[in-house]
Amino acid sequence: MALTLASGLAGRTVIVTGGSRGIGRAVVELLAQDGADVTFYYRDNAAAAQEVVAAAKAAGQTVTAEQLDIRDSAACASAIERLADRRDRIDLLVNNAGVIRDNPLSGFADADVQDVLDTNVTGVFNMARAVAPYMISQRGGKIINISSVSAEKGGRGQTNYAASKGAINALTRALAVELAPRRITVNAVAPGVIDTEMSAGVREMAGDEVRARILLKRYGKPEEIAYAVWFLASDYANYVTGQVLTVDGGFKMD
Amino acid sequence: MTTVFTQDEIDAVFPTVSATMADALGCDVEDIKPNVSLIEGLDAESIDFLDMVFRLERAFKIKIPRGKIVENARGTLTEAEFELKGVVTDTGLAQLRSYLSEVPAERFKSPMKVADIPRLFTPETFCKLVVQAQRDVKAAA
Repeated sequence: MALTLASGLAGRTVIVTGGSRGIGRAVVELLAQDGADVTFYYRDNAAAAQEVVAAAKAAGQTVTAEQLDIRDSAACASAIERLADRRDRIDLLVNNAGVIRDNPLSGFADADVQDVLDTNVTGVFNMARAVAPYMISQRGGKIINISSVSAEKGGRGQTNYAASKGAINALTRALAVELAPRRITVNAVAPGVIDTEMSAGVREMAGDEVRARILLKRYGKPEEIAYAVWFLASDYANYVTGQVLTVDGGFKMD
Repeated sequence: MTTVFTQDEIDAVFPTVSATMADALGCDVEDIKPNVSLIEGLDAESIDFLDMVFRLERAFKIKIPRGKIVENARGTLTEAEFELKGVVTDTGLAQLRSYLSEVPAERFKSPMKVADIPRLFTPETFCKLVVQAQRDVKAAA
């Protein structure tokens, strides 16, 4: 058979949560560059979101930004309904939005636990529930969840974050089973320590110790996660589902 | 008390309901007879029910909350009157027979688990669901 090189992403309707900064922004930029019609959601940083949209527009790409709190299931459903009315179909959801509230277990305030679970887990449920009916109906689609190396290789002060990302891995596998009959794939990308604003605290606190545990001896770049997402989003990954793809430079446990 | 639906009301929505169901189930619209069992006759699975409800909501511009058919079927009965520990009571079964009047009598088993109620559903059941939702929209307006 003839092998082809075409991701199939051109013209696809793509959703990215937490798209204004860090990994999310890199995902938005890469998928838009490959011709996808990208709508991304942000919670707080409207200025950063507008910057992403303006840069995309200047490059002739189609990127739209909308404020959304993914912890609010009704708001998620409405946002997706509006998008589906505009675009007629939903091809890809990248659940990227997440928060981090590191602390030793006994030092957690209730809000530290709740905020992390509400955004990192409930938010993913809310968005997946909102897009699934469209994907089921059109008999196809892809969902990619951004997990973390923390799910399997927990670090000090990250019990809440690690638990939330472990839940994402479990959700990814279970949802893949549930949606496979309608040709919807569900996968996750588990980044290691990536050079973003979100991981600044970890890098500042335990930088040398963390870097020593990475086989490649450097932090990852947001675009290196975006490329993994791009692969799973593309037609090249049509036969991949229920997987967690680790992109961590060879992070090892001591 | 059981809600009454006229044949005209059912007939008015049936063409769209049957076409929507055929799309969702991937079968010919001619296979969608008003009283065929969706699960046993048309091999519908739980994911198909979600799809059918979603498509009907969009086709008729209505909202169908989860569990609405059983809620409609229960009518004025309380949950305790309708079911006990997941099994439909005798009173509940009588109510169910009355609401799902299109379903042949022999398909109502006793005892019947609440979880098995969807086995009774037919395209006409969904027509009633749509008509009721349309009435609700009108009433709200």
